[in-house]
Amino acid sequence: MTKQKFDQITTPQTVVIISNFILGIGILTLPRTVTEKVKTPDGWITIILGGITALLVAIIMVKLAERFPGKSIFQYSNEITGKVIGSVVSLCIIIYYLTLSSFELRAMSETTRLFLLQGTPNWAIILPFIWIGLYLITGGINPIARMFEIVFPITILFFLLVMFLGIKVFDINNLRPVMGMGVMPVMKGLTTTSLSFVGFEIILIIYMYMKEPTRALKATVIGLSISLVFYCVTFIMVIGALSIDGAVTQTWPVLTFIRSFEISGLFVERFDSLLLVIWIMQLFTTFAVCYYAAALGLSHIFNKNINLFIYGLAPLIYIVSMMPRNINEMFQLGSVIGNFTLYFFSCVPVLLLLISLMRGKQS
Amino acid sequence: MKRRKSKTEDQQQAIEKEVQSNPLNFTGNLSIDLDRIRSEIGQNGDVHIREFKIGSLNARAALIFIDGLADTEIINNNILRSLMSVDDQDCEKNRNIETSTRERLSTHMLLIGKVNETSNIQSFDTAILAGSAGLLVEGTAIGFVLDVAKAKTRNIEEPLSESLVRGPRVGFVEQLSDNTALLRNLSKTQDLAINTFKVGTKIKKDLAIVYMRDIVDPQLLEEVIQRIQTINIDNLPESGYVEQLIEDNQFSPFPQIQNTERPDRVMGAILEGRVGILLDGTPFALILPVTFNMLLQSPEDYYERWISGTLIRMLRYLAAFIALFGPSLYIAFSSFHQGLIPTKLAISIAASREGVPFPPLIEALIMEISIEILREAGLRLPKPVGQSLGIVGGLIVGEAAVQAGIVSPIMVIVVAVTAISSFTLPHYSIGITIRFLRFVVMLFSAVYGLYGVVLFVLLLCTHLVKLKSFNVPYLSPAVPYQLSDLKDFLIRAPLSMMKRRPKLMHTQESKRK
Repeated sequence: MTKQKFDQITTPQTVVIISNFILGIGILTLPRTVTEKVKTPDGWITIILGGITALLVAIIMVKLAERFPGKSIFQYSNEITGKVIGSVVSLCIIIYYLTLSSFELRAMSETTRLFLLQGTPNWAIILPFIWIGLYLITGGINPIARMFEIVFPITILFFLLVMFLGIKVFDINNLRPVMGMGVMPVMKGLTTTSLSFVGFEIILIIYMYMKEPTRALKATVIGLSISLVFYCVTFIMVIGALSIDGAVTQTWPVLTFIRSFEISGLFVERFDSLLLVIWIMQLFTTFAVCYYAAALGLSHIFNKNINLFIYGLAPLIYIVSMMPRNINEMFQLGSVIGNFTLYFFSCVPVLLLLISLMRGKQS
Repeated sequence: MKRRKSKTEDQQQAIEKEVQSNPLNFTGNLSIDLDRIRSEIGQNGDVHIREFKIGSLNARAALIFIDGLADTEIINNNILRSLMSVDDQDCEKNRNIETSTRERLSTHMLLIGKVNETSNIQSFDTAILAGSAGLLVEGTAIGFVLDVAKAKTRNIEEPLSESLVRGPRVGFVEQLSDNTALLRNLSKTQDLAINTFKVGTKIKKDLAIVYMRDIVDPQLLEEVIQRIQTINIDNLPESGYVEQLIEDNQFSPFPQIQNTERPDRVMGAILEGRVGILLDGTPFALILPVTFNMLLQSPEDYYERWISGTLIRMLRYLAAFIALFGPSLYIAFSSFHQGLIPTKLAISIAASREGVPFPPLIEALIMEISIEILREAGLRLPKPVGQSLGIVGGLIVGEAAVQAGIVSPIMVIVVAVTAISSFTLPHYSIGITIRFLRFVVMLFSAVYGLYGVVLFVLLLCTHLVKLKSFNVPYLSPAVPYQLSDLKDFLIRAPLSMMKRRPKLMHTQESKRK
């Protein structure tokens, strides 16, 4: 109840933001993208290894953020490397979040068109979504965190329920043999699976809002582990039901998996659209936090009120999200973002940390 | 003669001077003071001025009171009788003991409980207008305010808007003093604080803030008092005015302050560290801050055993969900996603819709609007008529509409279930909110189907997470997570497990003793 200088978020909120953000876009396509690379049913090992890789990067990020409490990466990148390079780094992050939020919008729209609203134009689906997102983020980080808290348990419960219902089409033989082709295939998919954990880098931004910054590392580890468990369960269930050949041919293998069984006698027989409904809510939170991160970055660079950039970015996000001409171009955009993330977020935080250690910069 | 005249003139001048120098105070000259009172309030027909002589003092006096507000029985028996009686012994005693008129009056002659003295005419008048009787005595520059106000009150009854199967049959009434007495009666502890304020610029009304001194968060209390002091309006006829003037977001469809007629509910709330507001002239008390789940709870959840309390509470959440989303889900499934529901159900819906000329949205709007009209009409009519109106409207119109082929029978079922569900909400104000939002979500779902419903849920959640009631997040304890408070959210844990007060209230004393 005390008046704070700015909003603060609790540790559970940080955990929820991180794990929900990671699960956001990856979960529906993960079994396909992994299997495409690995080509054996060992993808789940790759996922675990990818999760550990991501965890290492996350620890570096937390260590970096811990040196500058109360500041976002947009502010301390300037302090570490000087104004010019710092601004370039910040700008890259802003463009990354901007593109990511647009990509998520488009992915949501394409999926909705495929499963719920055939023939509805993309703009009609995207525009109200942006407006509601705008309404949410004008409230600052606290409402965003609370929104995550609403969506997270619903997603988890529903997802687990659906996975559990899928047990009757599950066949353990589809997952055999373990390491039948040796270790190499497992390693091949490592890049893809590490990429599916993209999202934890949000800790660079939300760290400044944490009420108990000393628990940042713990929160990041827990958040990552929750998504790791989810990815593994999903992968095992989907491959177990569809086999690797089935998973590779499907655009949205998880939805296909859920379509493959019907529970009769209930009011709702098919769960794919319902899962989609939940997933839209989850994507909304992810979209909102990306949008907020981009606006926050701009406001930190230019030292202006954030609301200005929140409104200013809305049309930009819309335009970028409408740029891919079809679903294939959309996935291309996704892989561009993925590659950028891979190189940028695995190098830059390490470099920043090293430079700040060498120059002894700390605030 | 001339000299005498000039002497009285001098006196007159002296008095006038005093009147001019201090126009708000009594002079001690009875006729002048009476004239001033006459000119201020005496021209009203209901103000009575009774002039008489105080027997034992042999002094002129006047009693001013308002017809109907002051209790004439007390005036006759306890004031006039004792003042006007001439008791020789008393006179003798009075002459011997040199005490002031003032003291003698209040120690010997005024046989009532509360006597205040004032030298200010303005406050004297205000007290008379509030129901007290005013006594002026020749030679005393002081007005006596005798509290003889006759409380115009009705009997304490069970509140109509919040009736319970099990629980005290007690509701607040219009009189503030009765209401505070009801609360005092429920908690005979010194920690119950009742602070009164005067609010309203033109018509000053009594407003009482009630809280537990050793529990309430001082910051919350400060905030409440500060907001009450900002109230700037000529009159507050009902506590709804207070509610609207101090709430956080006046554009939100959700009530951010709870109103109740039940003292036990107020008591329960202030024991959790909340603050209650009572306003004179209305039986509706306010409780703040409020969270969303409180609006779906009933005191009965606590009076019944915890299993039934929990089950009924969950039932209520389900009913609220149906009341909000019933028709919109019907619209979404029947016009967009027939594939999602079992084939046989889809077929029977399609068959029942055969011949219906309208799309599901129009069909739903027709039925929903007519049921809202019926409900509103039933509310205004006298009770027996209202009931028959419900039967005529609900049964006959619904049946006829189906037979005429305007709406499908399934639509009637959906609308009826929705309407019944909305009656389970224990609060009228949240009921209105949900009824209103039901129409919004119907429009969303008519445009976008299930996606529209999701959009609406997102919009609703966004609004709710941004909403605060006196700095308490509206959706707590659900979000932000407050695990210990969840024992009293969806479920109602056994009383022995609820030993701590809600954490979100930041109470001074966390343990219930």
